[in-house]
Amino acid sequence: MKYLAEYRDPKLARALVERIRREATRRWTLMEVCGGQTHTIVKQGINDVLSEQVEMIHGPGCPVCVTPLEQIDRALHLASRPDVIFTSFGDMLRVPGSACDLLQVKARGGDVRAVYSPLDALELARRHPDKEVVFFAVGFETTAPANAMAVWRAHELGVTNFSVLVSHVTVPPAMVAILEAPDNRVQAFLAAGHVCAVMGWTEYEPLAARYRVPIVITGFEPMDILEGIWMAVRQLEVGRHEVENQYVRAVRREGNQAAQDLMERVFHAVDRGWRGIGVIPSSGLGLRPEFAGYDAEVRFSLGFIRADEPAACRAGDVLRGRIKPSECGAFGTACTPESPLGAPMVSSEGACAAYHNFARVGRGAERGA
Amino acid sequence: MSAQLLREHFLPRFGNPWLDRLGDGAVVPVEGAEIAISTDSFVVSPLEFPGGNIGHLAVHGTLNDLAMMGATPRWLSVGFVLEEGLPFDLLDRVLDAMAEATAAAGVAVVTGDTKVVDRGKADGMFVNTTGVGILHDGFRPDPRGARPGDAVLVSGPLGRHGMAVMAVREGFAFESEIVSDTADLSPLVASLREELGSQVHALRDATRGGAASALNEIAAASGVGVELDEAAIPVPGAVQAACEMLGLDPLYVANEGVLVAFVASEAASRAVDLLRSHPAGSGATVVGTVVAEHPGLVILRTGLGASRVVDMLPGDQLPRIC
Amino acid sequence: MCLGIPGRIVEVRRDGGLPMGVVDFGGVRRDACLAYVADEVDVGDYVIVHVGFALSKVDEEEAHRTLDILRQMGELEEPA
Repeated sequence: MKYLAEYRDPKLARALVERIRREATRRWTLMEVCGGQTHTIVKQGINDVLSEQVEMIHGPGCPVCVTPLEQIDRALHLASRPDVIFTSFGDMLRVPGSACDLLQVKARGGDVRAVYSPLDALELARRHPDKEVVFFAVGFETTAPANAMAVWRAHELGVTNFSVLVSHVTVPPAMVAILEAPDNRVQAFLAAGHVCAVMGWTEYEPLAARYRVPIVITGFEPMDILEGIWMAVRQLEVGRHEVENQYVRAVRREGNQAAQDLMERVFHAVDRGWRGIGVIPSSGLGLRPEFAGYDAEVRFSLGFIRADEPAACRAGDVLRGRIKPSECGAFGTACTPESPLGAPMVSSEGACAAYHNFARVGRGAERGA
Repeated sequence: MSAQLLREHFLPRFGNPWLDRLGDGAVVPVEGAEIAISTDSFVVSPLEFPGGNIGHLAVHGTLNDLAMMGATPRWLSVGFVLEEGLPFDLLDRVLDAMAEATAAAGVAVVTGDTKVVDRGKADGMFVNTTGVGILHDGFRPDPRGARPGDAVLVSGPLGRHGMAVMAVREGFAFESEIVSDTADLSPLVASLREELGSQVHALRDATRGGAASALNEIAAASGVGVELDEAAIPVPGAVQAACEMLGLDPLYVANEGVLVAFVASEAASRAVDLLRSHPAGSGATVVGTVVAEHPGLVILRTGLGASRVVDMLPGDQLPRIC
Repeated sequence: MCLGIPGRIVEVRRDGGLPMGVVDFGGVRRDACLAYVADEVDVGDYVIVHVGFALSKVDEEEAHRTLDILRQMGELEEPA
């Protein structure tokens, strides 16, 4: 595949690894924000080959992991209604709510369908006018333009049986929350490449300056990650703290204006809870009041739900990089991929699931991860 | 969930030396000789997909299970549960597929059963096939038979069936040339048996759960480790592209015409040639080795030289956005 | 958040005013909404697609430049 396969060349990757090994004079602590980057790092063993040069802390950039328990419970409630076709991205189907998950609701007769795109959900609504179609609109800024367009189109086409259950979160407030924490160890960030393809990087410039951290906008292939790490280490070695762009083939400083414009028309900033972390002010996107008709929480009068995490689940500490998954008491015992207590054990790039794999190799792969 | 059902509900009631081994099929004594029996039910949706239909799967699936035990398939029974309102032309296409597949394999459908249930109760149709095959002296590939030093082979490129089905699945549909790899693997196994005999230690068809599941099952049953070379694993370009789009790993995508084979290392090269002499085995290649370390674990060596575990998935792999 | 892959636009059209296209990902083709890149792309261009939406046009010049730099680096590095 063009513009993909070339960035997986093992020879070039190894050359970059050597370059980083030569240039790092000490071990640095980096955080990659995006779950897709965590996926590549874990899958390729990048932690492992650079364990003496960098410690990669896996950030809260996995929308599956951070969707609040109350939203999952609202989803489960809606999915159980006989008049609802509940649609969602595949990742969300096995995330545990308070009592069960969407796949279990499906097994019990709920009409739960995974889709690739929110436009598929809108199409379902048009084909089934007798049903209510709800789409679980989760994700970061990367996915917000798609969800905004689905709502906008529904509005333009006069579709009245379509609504979205929104749980969008935005990256910069989460980075600030991490940087402000007194026990923060992150010295540089790999910023999420596709989030920045949408939003550009102007929001990160004040962060780099105020907190004196290099922020490198990074792609998702092995060579992107390695080049991003290299660029971050180079800055750290000479005490620079700037925003740099590794993902030049897809990201420009101003981002995608058309996407930002429609997001602005459909969504506004709201306070949002991050599962395991708590509420971060203005860290989410919610539908503007003029689109309340498409807001599932309003349409179905979902109101307040109190949801309690299992006491043993320490997803929040893991997501903030405070503990490694292996340091959680429930890790591998009460909490496994088959019976997860929290989202990071479910998602393929959740830190806990990643550790569950790595830890079992037992060949020193855990060294620096 | 199936494993739990088996343990808690079926085995306590039916346990016997043959069932307890939980193989793909059973070997039973008949007047001093031994025959193989295997059964499988097919509940797929959609019933038709690029490259085939449920009829192909129902025949090939059971022929392959018998072949993986080392048996030559000979007789099949077929049971249908048909949903009322199933179009006759669809039924005929399924039956045509089964007739064609059994004839090509030299296998006879000797008995069968059909039931009709109300609309909404059978996803179109459910099919069960039970096969009986003849075993050969000295050829008993067994999931417990893998040994350190063995070569690990796959008979063809991975992921075709699962992605062919995904291509027509509502909500994910896409256009491509991917067609299901559904195939009768018993001629491939016969070639291995005729020339390599007991040097073939273990065989498994890589169906639901993909090659990763088949490898894990054998590693666990044999108490050995498996080390795979990422660069050696064959995946067709279009399958790779479809997996990239949906965030799926080809190692876990279902196949219906691929087997994994564990053979003595000195027989590896000949095994590849034998598999490749059949159209269904044209992409056969060595993908790894068996080691004594990390028993029960399948480890993949990446392009960077690092290793990661290729674990069993708790459920079906799900397309992801992240 | 993240799963965006590059593909080549092979067809463009309008669905009731909405710019849409068919994108080819290494032999697999799917519809994608081009509304967010409509002004800058045409058939033959590469875009990054996430959940059925093109979010960014691939800057092929930059892509080649990066690869050239990395390849030069690859030649300079001693193997481990």
